[in-house]
Parts: sequence; structure tokens; C-alpha cells
Amino acid sequence: MLKNSYFISGLVTLLLSLLLLFVAIPFGITSPSNISKIVLSPVFWPQVLSILLGITGVALMLSANGEHDDYVNNNIDDDDEHLKVSTAGGFKRLFLMGILMGAYIVAIPKLGLVWTSMIAFVALSVLIKSSYPRTAIIAAVIIPLVLYLFFAHVAGMSIPQGEFLRLP
Amino acid sequence: MTLLENLAAGFALVANFESVLALAGGVLIGVIAGAIPGLSATMAVALTLPFTFAMTPIPAILLLLGVYKGGIFGGSIPAILIKTPGTPASSATILDGYPMVKNGHAGKALGMALWASCTADLISNLALILLAGWLAAFALNFGPPEFFTLILFSLTIIAGVSGDSLLKGIVSAILGLLLATIGLDLVYGTNRFTLNDPNLMGGLNFIAVLIGLFAIPEILSMVWNPKPVAGKTQGLGKEWVTLAEYKRCFKTIVRGSFIGVFLGSIPGIGAAPSAFLSYSEARRKSPNKDNFGKGEIEGVAASEAGNNGVAGATLIPLLALGIPGDVITAVIIGAFMVHNLQPGPMMFINNPDIIYGLFMGLMISSIFLFLIGSVAIRAFRHIANVPQVILFPSIMVLCVYGVYAVNNSIFDIGVMFVMGVLGYVMLRKSIPAAPFLIAFILGPLLEDNFRQAMLMSSGSPEVLLRGPITWFFWTLTIITLVAIIHSGMKKRQAHITDSSNQE
Repeated sequence: MLKNSYFISGLVTLLLSLLLLFVAIPFGITSPSNISKIVLSPVFWPQVLSILLGITGVALMLSANGEHDDYVNNNIDDDDEHLKVSTAGGFKRLFLMGILMGAYIVAIPKLGLVWTSMIAFVALSVLIKSSYPRTAIIAAVIIPLVLYLFFAHVAGMSIPQGEFLRLP
Repeated sequence: MTLLENLAAGFALVANFESVLALAGGVLIGVIAGAIPGLSATMAVALTLPFTFAMTPIPAILLLLGVYKGGIFGGSIPAILIKTPGTPASSATILDGYPMVKNGHAGKALGMALWASCTADLISNLALILLAGWLAAFALNFGPPEFFTLILFSLTIIAGVSGDSLLKGIVSAILGLLLATIGLDLVYGTNRFTLNDPNLMGGLNFIAVLIGLFAIPEILSMVWNPKPVAGKTQGLGKEWVTLAEYKRCFKTIVRGSFIGVFLGSIPGIGAAPSAFLSYSEARRKSPNKDNFGKGEIEGVAASEAGNNGVAGATLIPLLALGIPGDVITAVIIGAFMVHNLQPGPMMFINNPDIIYGLFMGLMISSIFLFLIGSVAIRAFRHIANVPQVILFPSIMVLCVYGVYAVNNSIFDIGVMFVMGVLGYVMLRKSIPAAPFLIAFILGPLLEDNFRQAMLMSSGSPEVLLRGPITWFFWTLTIITLVAIIHSGMKKRQAHITDSSNQE
């Protein structure tokens, strides 16, 4: 049964529901003490939704028998040898992508949006194994610059410039 | 004001260089984006949205509507030529479009796709003009209890038609509703899941959530499995669609358009089911039914009329009731919000010139679709050859700039990436993202109307059954729920039978 993603999805949904009901709602929502009707309370709606989430989670777990995960069946557990080779380092690449996304956010105030975007563009091209390195580098320079020109000079928006090299 | 006077006022708003350019540009962007495998029409509309912030409302919304319409047609180009639908709505077009290409009639297939798309688009726009005003006038009688029941009904439909698993669709919708509760409470102004962070007090930025859910998971999928697009572009051949063939398929196109209009005006159904229904009806009624699936031009006409017939009709609930008919109109509702416009019945009273300006713009968009589509068909070989490894980093950079531009907030970029990871997990677990987004938009409306109704009645739930309109929507909701559960159980039974037969 555990092989079935319906069961796992249901279990995660149920745990999320319990987390909301017993931790996130009591500690994350401030409710005035003088509310006479529960339906008017700020916690009412999240509580109803959390209970519905829990019920759906249980239903998902119960429906685990006889169902199958279409995405996995169709896209991951394919017999195609090429696919197996391509996804071999998938988790490693996803982990690196996570780092790239985090670094993108952290670097914007320091380097500015344009330079950070150029570096992130090249990094992502490397991550997805670009077979057009020269085109990727040219695009990495041109696209952030064109977007900067549009947003800063046409739309009149403030684009972070960073601490080192400022653009006109 | 009469309908004609309103249309004249609308025309005056649209008949300027900026609006016409926005519309033509939108259709062009949409056709190109739809024709690029890996870029969906939804993603194209979402990525174009930030570029409209500096524009005035009419050109901004026309630009997005142009992208929407262009994107739906553009999706049919790779569906026909390389058997890869540019958008899910084009899946039915493959059935006869690709066999036609194999038979050396690529130009004919694409030509018919274009003619059928434009005809259906025109019919759909006319339906919008005729029906939206009438529906909005009816909706003026709605108070908070009626709106609550209407939105609840819309949510049941959306959850029910959201993919292979009803339960996963419901989980997705509930998560969207829960996420919409983040921020200050609507009535008391107290904190809800804000962690005392000022960035969260206004709730999560809609555009960050939207782009995160629909664009970032595609990038993560590419990172997981970097692969080029399968399929080779084919030549167009020398044959083009003739007027006689168009006349032969005209009845099918009109039927498909009406199917599209009917299904499109119901929130949540979308273009793909409409295309398949139109296709199956055409096959059932055609004298050439044996040729369907082997390269029948009527099949291409039927599926394209079905999916394009939806485009104008999905705007009926959006403009008349303020409820998005599908995920793309959910994005377009964001454009209205950015420009301080609230679609719904009151907009027909307060801003009829804008409404009718949009109607006129949509009519003009059908002409642009025909002109730009004709060129795009010939230029497809170059469009499809954009390397995926250049496309996806470009999308990431576009997403970051676009999301930042909404509020000049780096926090929003973080929200987008987090939503992207969530969207990717949902994709891997076959949990559809569309109900999540639509519920995220409808969530505040649902809760707001519920609490207003409760305030009106001092907490008595009887107000939710106060008149024939609420009864009508409760009945529809119950019928829909019963139908969804019944079809879900039938599907499950079929799965179990299939599995046991295979064993």
C-alpha cells in the first residue's frame, strides 16, 4: 500500500491538517476574546478548511487501493533508457537548483538584479546541460539588460542596482 | 444606455494606436508562445502580466486577452507539425492534424486550424457580448449570501474537473483556500499566519503565487530531466485549405464553437474537454467518420473550433460575475486587480465603457488572429527551434523581473520560488495546480461573502437559504457533487477492473 502515492499524499495531507488544527491555527491566528459567534471568528474559516483537508486526506488514504500515480507511471518509471540516464542525477540537480534559487534572492541586494540574473542564467544553463554555451552566454547578457531597460526606463520602475557596478 | 450606444462608447476607447498595438502585440506574443513547446498559454499570459503595470487599463487587458487568444491558437501549430501540443487544449488537434502532416497536407491542416479558430473565436466573442450583460444584470440582485453560494458552486465544479483524481483536486483547492487566509483578518484586522512579518500582512502576492505555480515547476521539470523536445518539424507542403473545404466543415465549426461557448461559460471546464467533445460530435455526425484519426480535415476543424470557442465564453463569468472561468482568466483577473478594477456586475454599471471597449477589442482580435496566425504558420520552423536550454533560463529571469516589478519586493521573489517548489511537488504527485490557483483567488471572496452574510444575520446560517437564487445554487452544488462522486466511483471501478484483468 505504501508504494501508492495516493496513500502517501493522503498521509501528508492528514498530518498537515493536524498541524494546522493543533499548532498553526492556535498559535498563528490572533482572535479577539469578545466574539460571541464562532462563525464570525478569524479562526473559523481556517478551522473548517483544516478539517476538510483532514477528511480529504483520510479519503485519499482509503482510496489508495486500486488507484495509481499517473505522472509516475507515465513519466518517471518509463522503460526508456534515455530517460533513466537523464534523470539519474535528477535529485542532485534539483538540490543545486534549490541553492541557485536561494542564492538568487540573497545576491540581489548585493549585486543588483541585472548582474545576479546574468549569473543565474548561466548557472541554470549549466545545470540543464546546455549544448549551446555560446548562445547561452550571449542570452545571459542580453535578456537581463533588455528587461532592465524596459522596467527601469520604459515602465519607470526601480530595479535594484547592487553595491558594486551601477547601470545608467 | 442601449447596447449600441455602449458599443460605440467602447469603440471610442479602443480606436487608438496604443490599444490596437497592444492587441496585435498580444496576439503575436500568444501565437509565438503557444507555438513553442514547453511554454503554455497560461505561462505566456502570466509572464506578460508584469509588462502591463505601466500601461493604462484598456490596452493592458487587451494585451493579455490577445496573448490568451493567440496562445490557444498557437498551441495547435506544434500539435499538428510535431505531435506536441503547445497547450493542453490542442491535444485533440493531434488526432487528425498529425496524420494530415504525415500524408503531406501540413499546410492544409494548419490553414483549417486557423480558419476554424478564427470563426470559433468570433462566435465566442459574439456570445460574450450578448450574454455577459444579461448575466450581469441578473447578478445585480445578488447579495453576500447569493455570492457565497455562487462561489461555492464554482469551486465544486473546479475541483471536480481538475484532472484524474477528484480527491487530489479537492486537496489542491483546499490548500489554495488556506493560503488565501494568510494576512490580516478581513473583519477584525488581526493577524492570521503572518508570523508578525509585515510582508505577509497584506497576504501573499497573487502574481508571485501564480508565476510560482505555473512557470517555476516547468523549469524544475527541465532541471530534473534536461531533454530536448521530441519530434521533428515538418514542411508545410504546397497544398493550402480551400474555400470549398471550409464550407464543407462550416457546420462542424459552428457546432464546435457552440460547444465551446456552452462549456466555456461554465466555470472550470476549460478548453481541452470542449475540443474533445466537439471532435467526438463531429466524428459521430460526419459522413467521413471512418477517416477520423487518419487525417480528416473535419477533425482538425472540430477540435480547433471546440477549443477556441471557449476563449470568449470563459470571459462571461469573469466579467459578469467576477468569477474566473479557467486558469487563464484567473490570471487575467489579476490584471483587473492591478489596475484597480473589480470585474463583476457592478463593473457594468460603473465602467460600461471599459467593458464594451474590451468587447470591441476582442472582436478586433479575431482579425489580428487571422492575420498574425497566417504568418506564424509559415514562420513556425524558426519559432520551434528555440533551444529549450536557452528558453528555460530566460523564463526564470523573466519570472524574477516580473514578480519583483509588482511591489518592488525581493520577498515576493522568495514567495514565487517557494510556490514553484510546491507546484513541482504537486506536479510530481499528480495534484493539479489549477484548482489551487482558482481557489486562492476565490478564497477571499468566498470568506468575505460568508462573513458578511453572517454579520447580516447575526450568525444565523438561515440567511444562506434566504431566497430562490441561493436555493438554485445549493441545488446545483449538490447535483454537481453527486455527479462528480458518481463519475469518480465509476472511474475507480474501471481502474480496479483494468488492474485485475491485467493481472
